[in-house]
Amino acid sequence: MKDYFIKEKVDPIISGLCRDIKPITILLITKQGTVISEAGDTKSINTTAMAALTAGMFSATREVAKMVGEQQFSILLQQGEKRHIHISLVTEDAMMIIVFEDYRRIGMVRVEAKKAGTRLIDIAMAEKAKDTDAAFAAHHPSTSTNTNENQDARNKDGKISTPEFKEYALNLIDQIFVTKT
Amino acid sequence: MPYISYDKKEISFKIVYYGPGMSGKTTNLMYIHNSLAENLRGELVSLDTEEERTLFFDFFPLELGQIAGYDVKFNLYTIPGQIYYEASRKLMLEGADGVVFVADSNPLRFDRNITSYEMMLDNLASYHIDAEQFPIVLQYNKRDFPDAIERGSLEKVLEIQVPSLEAVATSGEGVMETIRTISKMIIEGFEL
Repeated sequence: MKDYFIKEKVDPIISGLCRDIKPITILLITKQGTVISEAGDTKSINTTAMAALTAGMFSATREVAKMVGEQQFSILLQQGEKRHIHISLVTEDAMMIIVFEDYRRIGMVRVEAKKAGTRLIDIAMAEKAKDTDAAFAAHHPSTSTNTNENQDARNKDGKISTPEFKEYALNLIDQIFVTKT
Repeated sequence: MPYISYDKKEISFKIVYYGPGMSGKTTNLMYIHNSLAENLRGELVSLDTEEERTLFFDFFPLELGQIAGYDVKFNLYTIPGQIYYEASRKLMLEGADGVVFVADSNPLRFDRNITSYEMMLDNLASYHIDAEQFPIVLQYNKRDFPDAIERGSLEKVLEIQVPSLEAVATSGEGVMETIRTISKMIIEGFEL
C-alpha cells in the first residue's frame, strides 16, 4: 500500500487541529495500523500499539456495520470517565484518532475533525492523481509531463533500488533472527 | 502489500502467525520478542482472554534497521485460533505480506490443523490473494509431543507445497528459523 499522505503537507493540518481543539493526542494512521502523523502528547501513550489496536478495532467495526446493512461506520466514539477517543475514517486507507479530556468539547472535536479530514482527503486525492498521471505518461511516452519527472525524481531521491534493498534486508534478517545455541 | 512511505522513509511489512487454537502462535511471538535486542523491538501487546487464549491479537513491531535511508519494519501479529473468532481472524489477514502457519503436532489435533489451514486459504481468497503466489511457511510445532504427526503429512492432505520447519516454541527450537524463512520469502518477493 502506498502512502498518499505527504508528511510536509499533512503534519501542519494535524498540528493545526491540535492547536484548535486542544486534545491530548492526535494520530493519523493507516488501516494497517501504521502512524502517518502525530501531534500533542505522544510520549505518555504508546502510539505504535495504539495505532495497531485501533486499526484492528476499526476493521472489526466495519464487519459489524455490514451485519446491520451499513457499508461502514465513519465515526467511533469511546467514552471514558476522564478521557475519550474520537476515531474517524478519513479515506478508505486512513483514520484519525483524537484522544481528549473535556467531553463538553465533543461537538467541536467532531466539527474540526471533519474539516481537517476534508483537507487530508484533498491532499491524498491530489497525490493519487499525480500517480495516475505518471502511470499514464509511462504508458504513453509521447504525452510525458512534469508529473512523471517528479515521480522519477522522488524515487531517485529515495535512493532505493530493489536488488540492493533485498541484499541489505536479507543480510539484516540473518543478523537479527539468530538462533541461540 | 507493504506500507511504503517515500516521504517518511519507511517500509513496513506485516507477518501474521496463523493456526488452530493453542498451537503456539503467541509462544512463537513471545520467544522472538524476548530474543531480540531492546532497541529493535517495540512493546508486545497481548490481548488475552481469561483463559489465557488470544481473543483479538498479539502484536509487536520490530525494527529491521535502516536500508538506503529507509526504516524497515516488520509488524508481527497473531490471530485468535479458536473456531468462534473466525471474523477476527479474517480481519488480521488484511494487508498481510506473509503468513506463518503454526500447526500442532499432537495427532489428536490433525484435523484441526487441516480445518484451520483451509479457513486461512478461504480468508486469503476473500482478500483476492492467490495462496500459491503468497509467502507461507508451515511450522510443525510441539515436535516434542509423543507420536507427533509426520512432517509432510499436512501438505499431503492439503495438496500444497510450502516450506516447512519443525519447532518446539516453548524452548525456542525452530522459532528463529521460522521467522527468518518467512522474512526472507517476503523480501525476495518484494518489488518497489
